[in-house]
Amino acid sequence: MKLRLIEKSDLDLFVQNLINDYQVDGVKRKEGSFLYGSIKSPEELCLDFDCTVIPPKKYFLPPEETLFQFTSSPALQVTPVMESNPFILFGVHPYDIKAINQMDRIFARGVPDPHYLKRREAALIIGVDPTKVAPRSFWADMGAATVSEGFDLMLTDIGESFIVEIGSNKGRSLLEQHAKPRPATRNEARERVGIRSRISHICKKRGFAFPKREIPTLLEHSWKKFFWEEQASKCLSCGTCNLVCPTCYCFDVQDNIDLDLVHGERVRRWDGCLLHDFAKVATGENFRETRASRYRHRFYRKGLYLFRLLDDMACVGCGRCASACLPDIADPVNLFNKLREDEK
Amino acid sequence: MDKPRVAFFDFASCEGCQLQVINLEEDLLQVVGAVEVVSFREAMKGHSDDYDIAFVEGSITRHSDEERLEGIRRCAKVLVALGSCAALGGINCLKNFHDQEYVKKLVYGDKALLYETYPARPLKAVVPVDFEIPGCPINRNEFAMVVKAFLLGKKPEIPNFPVCVECKMAENICVFEKGMTCMGPVTRAGCGACCVTEGSFCWGCRGLVDDPNADSQRDVLATHGLSVQDVLGKFRLYTGFSEVAK
Repeated sequence: MKLRLIEKSDLDLFVQNLINDYQVDGVKRKEGSFLYGSIKSPEELCLDFDCTVIPPKKYFLPPEETLFQFTSSPALQVTPVMESNPFILFGVHPYDIKAINQMDRIFARGVPDPHYLKRREAALIIGVDPTKVAPRSFWADMGAATVSEGFDLMLTDIGESFIVEIGSNKGRSLLEQHAKPRPATRNEARERVGIRSRISHICKKRGFAFPKREIPTLLEHSWKKFFWEEQASKCLSCGTCNLVCPTCYCFDVQDNIDLDLVHGERVRRWDGCLLHDFAKVATGENFRETRASRYRHRFYRKGLYLFRLLDDMACVGCGRCASACLPDIADPVNLFNKLREDEK
Repeated sequence: MDKPRVAFFDFASCEGCQLQVINLEEDLLQVVGAVEVVSFREAMKGHSDDYDIAFVEGSITRHSDEERLEGIRRCAKVLVALGSCAALGGINCLKNFHDQEYVKKLVYGDKALLYETYPARPLKAVVPVDFEIPGCPINRNEFAMVVKAFLLGKKPEIPNFPVCVECKMAENICVFEKGMTCMGPVTRAGCGACCVTEGSFCWGCRGLVDDPNADSQRDVLATHGLSVQDVLGKFRLYTGFSEVAK
């Protein structure tokens, strides 16, 4: 693997050159937290964040999007709405890239989702290794400290400079045309290894007390436990754990019609399995009416159903759910460790 | 099909919800084009008792209100409670937690004897209500959505998820993170989390979701420093009537 290097003093120029040619989005500070947003000047871009409130999934599956517009009379006419303006996502942590890689598989299987895939194709992802660990993160234990694919460039802060790993041809030309890289020396490459292992070590303070490959079996034996009712008694059913999760992708689809009752659009918006009406159908029947059944479902999704599909947990250890849950019952580390304790 | 005939009425309220209808601006013209408004004191002269849909703002606070509301109910095929006073009882119900003679004197002074009043209540405490549009004030886009649903013969869909959902979609930083407290986790969404988006917190004006976890919300508020009295106050501001009704 050939690594490049750009001096920190040259980073602003790199970012500015990208801004000149592309829509660039990256992490910005807001009220003491971090959010992805449009970057208009290099000073706005933050690369030493610990974790954003909302994951980058919003770029591929927006909170609300129009799928198509329709006219119902004289004859039904449907015009698909596809957004695919090229853009750069600058500053994505490996665990979020892992989540995007999972989403790419989910949205491409079966009937591929053109809305997601178009946006995904239009994106150039510049990853960055974390320099800080959010209090509830456990991505190192989830095998998401580094990723080998899913990025066009990957930056690592080694002090006075950034090591740049090239992940695609697009990334290579982006770097060559917009920055002044030089090949990284062997020592500099070794520094990257050291830095990555130090930050992973800090993150490993949180994690499962048992191998995560045992989670599906653990869940298979836990369906009827009172444990779920106990945990879920505090659940506000607010869906926050779903909405901030980089691997939760459920949505609701509705038609919005204009007052002329002829023109309208079909939209989809984020949904979440913790919400009361998530499994409610047209007859009024609700297949998961109790808090406990919805709460349990989320962990079965992450640790069993999607595990079978992805051969990995649908959790990358970002810890967003844990830090956003007001009654603090959403943390996968706490939950699976307790469940395991309970089994003994 | 003839255009549905629509009438607006108000009881104890600030009439701010009807103002939101007028504030539809361009959409208002479309609404007026799609329906026939036969009575709307805040916006027009003239009145008719021949209408299909009645939008009623305000809560019921005296016996004479009941008679008038029953009259509206008899005329209307569909009766819609417009806003939190009509749908939930709203902030008018705060007076229900005080001695009625005391609140009368507080408001009317030495003329208190001249005024009739009783504990405030939502419309549904007096007559059957077909649909509720909560909010203080209502979200005017939601009002337009309800009108469209009626025109299509569909049941309008008001969200049954809490404000937290709309906060996440708007990428608001959680109010609790900012050192304030919020009724968002148990409050019905549909407002687009407008108060939090503008830097405040959710007051709970749209009432509670269908199956609120009030116990957990009380715990959360208490953990964030609210006293039992403060917590009660947060719940009572808009949904005090249902507290007494239980």
